[in-house]
Amino acid sequence: MIKFENVSKSFGDIKAIDNVNFEIADGEFVFISGPSGAGKTTLLHLLLGEYHPSAGEVIFDETKVSQIPKKELPFFRRKIGVVFQDYRLLPERTVRENVEVALAVAGVSEEEWVKRADQVLKLVGILDRAQLFPSQLSGGEAQRVSLARALVTNPRVIFADEPTGNLDWETADAIMDLFHEINKEGKTVIIASHHKAIIDKMDKRVIELKKGELVHDSGHGKHKKR
Amino acid sequence: MHLKTALSYIRRSPFQAMAAVSVLSLTFFIATLLAVLIYASNQVLVHFETRPQVIAFLKDEATTEQITNLQRKLSGDERVGDISFVTKEEAFTIYKDATSDNPLLAELVSPSIFPASLEFSLKDLQYARQVVEEIKQEAIVESVGFTASIGGEDNLNDVVENLKTATLYIRIGGISLVAILTGASFLVLMVVIGLRITTRKNEIEILDLLGATGGFIRAPVVLEAIVYSIIGTLIGWIVALILLLYATPSIIGYFSPIPILPKNSLDFFLLLGLIFLAELIVGVLIALGGSLIAVSRARR
Repeated sequence: MIKFENVSKSFGDIKAIDNVNFEIADGEFVFISGPSGAGKTTLLHLLLGEYHPSAGEVIFDETKVSQIPKKELPFFRRKIGVVFQDYRLLPERTVRENVEVALAVAGVSEEEWVKRADQVLKLVGILDRAQLFPSQLSGGEAQRVSLARALVTNPRVIFADEPTGNLDWETADAIMDLFHEINKEGKTVIIASHHKAIIDKMDKRVIELKKGELVHDSGHGKHKKR
Repeated sequence: MHLKTALSYIRRSPFQAMAAVSVLSLTFFIATLLAVLIYASNQVLVHFETRPQVIAFLKDEATTEQITNLQRKLSGDERVGDISFVTKEEAFTIYKDATSDNPLLAELVSPSIFPASLEFSLKDLQYARQVVEEIKQEAIVESVGFTASIGGEDNLNDVVENLKTATLYIRIGGISLVAILTGASFLVLMVVIGLRITTRKNEIEILDLLGATGGFIRAPVVLEAIVYSIIGTLIGWIVALILLLYATPSIIGYFSPIPILPKNSLDFFLLLGLIFLAELIVGVLIALGGSLIAVSRARR
């Protein structure tokens, strides 16, 4: 379970997050929506323990994220798979190597890499591109690789930051289908997005931020079937 | 896996790699030569310190019993090292050997004109004056002298003192030069690794977000620096070795009979092997220090 409890985060005089409260249960599919600068990405950084809240607490499975010792943070971060708007792929490594690097980071033995990488690459529909470099991929394909890398270590939570921001409608829709499939397998999926049409189409719980404040939460357990 | 990554970083930036390896090679080339120079100067010093330094020329009327008593007395003296008795005949032989290029000189003299002597070394040259004064008082001693007179010095004490000073200067100069070069190598390695980290900043950020530990991120960078160090040490050492192998016969011949460098191949390679081992350790320490500082600065 993820809980933001009276969380505020300021950068100098600028309040990026202002007294935000919400809970996300295991297995939920949640959109965090809002315009650019609303504080969506700051929430991700707070959840990953990159930023410490100026006030309040971010709690992950009863653990206060801000109190996790620096040495333990890498192990905590492995519980959360992150998908970025700009994909953040390693440009000098192939698709397969980009996925395998997550396995290496997680300390998975090398013998398992091929099998596990194949599994997720197949799941995201990009196994035939395994030997290509990121520069040889389309935006949609790169985003699939980013998703495959986030999934390969089997984290409990997937946090995607504007995963469809750089994609056309059709590709974005296909990526959303993937997130839906992943969620059906029991993973918690949190998507930060300002893509209203996608959010409306998915019809999932929406936490809406505006200028750092939580302005609307459609509530727990109100997932609707697509 | 980390080694594979490190090697791929090296392949991708060959000029940075060459810069790092060149500086390290130069450092360890000079370090090897200086280490051999320090060894050689030490050998010269040991040679002069341990050879017979004092000769007590005996009166012709000295009996065998008196000579034996004096020899026994000297043997019991803690300040005295090895003692040997040189007969008149042996002294004549030494003279003949020393004048072998002009045999006429030997023909003009007979063994009877050479005094028998007791030659001995001192455990420390600071006792020289004291021991010489004491031995002069012995009834059977005609006169006392030193065996060496290199460069016009009055006695061996001066020779050894001069050698000690020279050796000290070689050591200080050598160590200072190696320290400066080591410092330069350290900085160059730090800059090269710093550049590498700057170009990898995006990758480090991604790895951080994926949950990579500090060790996972540092490992390829540190390994890359260690590879540079090992290659640099090896090149510097091999070039110095080739130079020494080429020059050693001439050096040994020139300084004969002082064993300035080991004549035995096994001892020679043992000496060079020990130097290589020490350089390798220093090289790895430079690599570890330089790369860890560079990584910690970049991740601050």
